[in-house]
Amino acid sequence: MTAHADTLAQTRQFAGGRRNIAGPSADTLRVWPLLILLIALFDLPLLFTLGLSLYGKNGFTLAHYAELLNTPAYLGVMASTLRVSLIATLVNALVGYPLAYWITGLDPRRRGIALACVLLPFWVSILVRTYAWIVVLGNGGLVNRLLQWGGVVDEPISFLYSEVGVTIGMTNVLLPFLVLPLYATMMRIDGRLTQAASSLGASSWTVFWRVFFPLTVPTLAASSLLVFMLSLGFYVTPAILGGGKVAMAGNLLDSLINQIPRWEMAAALAAVLLVITLAIYFAYARLGRWSRA
Amino acid sequence: MREQRLVLAVIGVTALAFLMMPIVIVVPMSFSSAQALTFPPPGLSWRWYDSLFGDPDWMEAVWTSLGIAAISASSALVLGGLAAYGLDRGLQRWRSLAEANFMAPLIVPGVITAVALYFVFAWTGLLGTYLGLVIAHTILAVPLIIIMIGASLRSLDVRIEQVAWSLGASWSQAIGRVVLPTLAPSIVAAWIFAFVTSFDEIIVTSFVAGAQTTVPKKMYEDLILEITPTITAVATLLIGTTVVALGLVHLLLKRGQLPSVQTGPAAGSTHSTQ
Repeated sequence: MTAHADTLAQTRQFAGGRRNIAGPSADTLRVWPLLILLIALFDLPLLFTLGLSLYGKNGFTLAHYAELLNTPAYLGVMASTLRVSLIATLVNALVGYPLAYWITGLDPRRRGIALACVLLPFWVSILVRTYAWIVVLGNGGLVNRLLQWGGVVDEPISFLYSEVGVTIGMTNVLLPFLVLPLYATMMRIDGRLTQAASSLGASSWTVFWRVFFPLTVPTLAASSLLVFMLSLGFYVTPAILGGGKVAMAGNLLDSLINQIPRWEMAAALAAVLLVITLAIYFAYARLGRWSRA
Repeated sequence: MREQRLVLAVIGVTALAFLMMPIVIVVPMSFSSAQALTFPPPGLSWRWYDSLFGDPDWMEAVWTSLGIAAISASSALVLGGLAAYGLDRGLQRWRSLAEANFMAPLIVPGVITAVALYFVFAWTGLLGTYLGLVIAHTILAVPLIIIMIGASLRSLDVRIEQVAWSLGASWSQAIGRVVLPTLAPSIVAAWIFAFVTSFDEIIVTSFVAGAQTTVPKKMYEDLILEITPTITAVATLLIGTTVVALGLVHLLLKRGQLPSVQTGPAAGSTHSTQ
């Protein structure tokens, strides 16, 4: 990268001797329009939010944060956000890892189809993906009718409007974020490593757990962190599949702004969520470097 | 050994079915003749498409969405394209800081961006305006544009540009006649991704749109109020659009031969989650 920038600078010096062309400073200038837009309409709004969370009648105050930590309703929402996110992440890892492993072992044509089945939902609108679960999981939905028809249950199970439904919906949305990086890592693992272990007499079970699995742990950890981070900010899925009964941080933010206008509390909650998210992101970025090293 | 492979295959197929379930369910239901949401549909009809296209509210939402997506994808492409070029070729100091700032809208959760923009838009009078939505969607598209254009610039041999200069071309000539035509496929692909991102966006939109209605916002509001099968028709059209867009991008990137550009989460994109 630097080498190529150097050659470019040299070319410019060379060309500039005869013709006045834009130098490196002009290239730097090209970054500014976007940078100004983002500073004015992204960075400053975030700082403004932070400021609002620290501002009371008499200037600087930590009262809003104190209220956030002393009100059972707020604490309850934060606890259920953490619980649902943790469960969704765990389910994702338990389903996503075998899925990625299975795809790796398929022949190229089937692998292509399987990957398309992972990628397509990833790009389909979250509303569509969430909406379908109402049809599948509702009281008169597909799953309940199958269970009743099979005689497993007499009364329909209410999956919807509970944490179970929200977790299912979130797992569905987040699975590609775990499967695709894991798949990429598994494909890069040198097959000779596992062959060597087998030829030395290790059983396939031992080869998997002592050779293959440890090589995928950094990516598994990094993508689980990513999934957890994304879970914390979920808003649409809990709103639709939780039906007002499952409140996550995102939904509380919505109420604090649109229903009971308490902007300073919304700002404090947003600030807490932002700090947690950024902390997880930095851990994720570090793990990412580690897994590539 | 055989049992292990079988168990793995069962888990794999079940997981894929789980992933594809929403799409597999929604599409047939949109052609249902029944009034209620039942699967499988008892009969086939176009009635939900008729009711969709006959509803002026839905049509207005479609035009608003298309307009906002086109304007915000284009402005994100122009600003982001210039910035990606500047990052790749010029900027040395503060480079990683600028890059991190361009990626930030992808990392910061949508609800937080929504809350922050809500405050500032309320203060500046942009809340509930078309311009406000365009600005919000432009910001959300920036990381995607930077990732895709940045990757294609890195794969472009800088000597091609150097040849143009050494033959006496000005910067705009070198860009307009050498760089842009070479990168055209990935530029169009990036625009399509930005367009789809905006067209599907719901979180920030539902906070700052006010009385403006986009397709996802109307869908979301209808879902909260009552569930009508018309939504299955909208959903099917959205799925169809996504398939066409992904197919186009796939073809474009194949033509542009950019192995470093991926159309998935591995590229760091968190398109329309949450």
